[in-house]
Amino acid sequence: MATLVTTVTEVLRYRGKIGQWSWVLHRVAGLGTLLFLIIHVIDTSWVYFAPAMYEEAIRIYQTPLFTLGEFILVACVVYHAFNGVRIIIFDFRPAWWEHQARAAQIVFLATIVVLVPTFILMAQHVVEFYGGGPIDPQIAPVVENVVIPFGGGMVVALLAGVALSAVVGAVTGNKGTPGPLLSQRSRLDQVMWSFMRLSGLALVPLALGHLAIMHVIEGVFAINASGTGSAADFVAARWVFIGWRIYDVLLLALALIHGFNGLRYVINDYTHNPTVRRGLNWTAFVACVAIIIVGAISLIGGVPGM
Amino acid sequence: MKAIFRIRRYNPEKDKKPYWQEFTLEDVLPTDRVVELLHRIKWEQDGTLTFRRSCAHGVCGSDAMRINGVNLLACKVLVRTFARDDAEEVKIQVEPILGLPVLKDLIVDMEPFFSHYRAILPYLITSEPPPADGRERRQSPQERAIFDDTTKCILCACCTTSCPSFWANDSYVGPAAIVQAHRFIFDSRDQAADQRLNVLGAPDGAWRCRTIFNCTPACPREIKVTQAIGEVKLAIVRGVEHVRQQKIADLKETPAPEE
Repeated sequence: MATLVTTVTEVLRYRGKIGQWSWVLHRVAGLGTLLFLIIHVIDTSWVYFAPAMYEEAIRIYQTPLFTLGEFILVACVVYHAFNGVRIIIFDFRPAWWEHQARAAQIVFLATIVVLVPTFILMAQHVVEFYGGGPIDPQIAPVVENVVIPFGGGMVVALLAGVALSAVVGAVTGNKGTPGPLLSQRSRLDQVMWSFMRLSGLALVPLALGHLAIMHVIEGVFAINASGTGSAADFVAARWVFIGWRIYDVLLLALALIHGFNGLRYVINDYTHNPTVRRGLNWTAFVACVAIIIVGAISLIGGVPGM
Repeated sequence: MKAIFRIRRYNPEKDKKPYWQEFTLEDVLPTDRVVELLHRIKWEQDGTLTFRRSCAHGVCGSDAMRINGVNLLACKVLVRTFARDDAEEVKIQVEPILGLPVLKDLIVDMEPFFSHYRAILPYLITSEPPPADGRERRQSPQERAIFDDTTKCILCACCTTSCPSFWANDSYVGPAAIVQAHRFIFDSRDQAADQRLNVLGAPDGAWRCRTIFNCTPACPREIKVTQAIGEVKLAIVRGVEHVRQQKIADLKETPAPEE
């Protein structure tokens, strides 16, 4: 953790160029998106596991706190997608590095160009929904219905991760990662490097398409017709078409593996105690698998009675 | 002009923590190099100021420091970099490079850096006997051009200590070691590319590079550091030969170096 503090302060002190800021934003945007993704897959899975709670979840999404979060989320995804493409280009054609600073500027510019009309469209939905009436911040139900169960789930994942880590440690006698002098080529890191790039490319249309439909064109308020209809009906209508389910399964799996592997990179950068690092990595792994399974079951199961 | 120096001081025998100290120099020229001014401080004002320098002409790479926020060789950077020629005064802040243990003032312990360097086997490995005529092992200008850029490294550690991944985790092998490995991996006379790629394919190898690009402008020899790291990553994933062919194609597009 100490090196995380060092990195944050020194990134501010070191006069790095645009690439350094692109990296900071890429990480922050990626972690922010992952946090939302975890919450989002869990709440959407309620459409299968607990339809009544799903209606409640959608109403919570329509509170001011989440409305603000939605704007931040869209900005994070758009920037992360554009900058990801920039990274992929220079990874596969290193000789083009001379253009990387220009490319980083283009990424910033393209993000703004895309975000301005997007935010205008999203703001129209917001204005329509809140339309003049008094705004009820509704913090209490958010805490009660979202933060507590979500936090509980995190604790369960952490405990499972630590337990698994202890078992793996006891079985293999692995004390953590050795230094470079002793190390051997890592299959995992090599495969994940390629996976991050391929899944990233696939996620650009998948995630941006999903965002465009759900957050910009239709908007989160349309899911339950601004509180007058059923959110489950909306989902059911969408999932009638098998193509949407395949789309959602792909998005679910690719985005979660991509996101949790990104989290693994962050864990490996800033934790140095081998036991802590292994524990956190197993926690991330357990959480990733659990959330994919939960999401996949509800996608396959669909809306009850549909 | 007048130069106001702000220098990070630390004496392990006296100080619990590093601190900043200011020095003022008169009659400074825009063409003075920072290392000369550090000498003037040491010789005229405070003999305890400690820093490394050997050749003092940008060849040996021993005076890497963070100067006004960026890693530079004190012997290669002119006052002119930080102020207009007719300026009244110039402010120069000097601190040790980050990520290696500070021994005293601007001197860091380079051993962790060199142990990463040794890890990538920085010497020719081949089972071919030396040529019978007793002369050098030959290669074509094109074979040389593929790795020419990475032969220029002087191991000053400017790149490695500009890297946020290295600040976060000093077991990361670092840009300089990868540059040095690149120099042998793509050398047609060397036969140990696989051994080096095993080291660089480890979790603390090239994978810790996040293409932040701090290393490339930090290099006082203008080595395309991030490009070299990118080529090493591609060599691990797609094979050395793939990258070699890509480089040959790129070289054909640019005018050939004079022979």
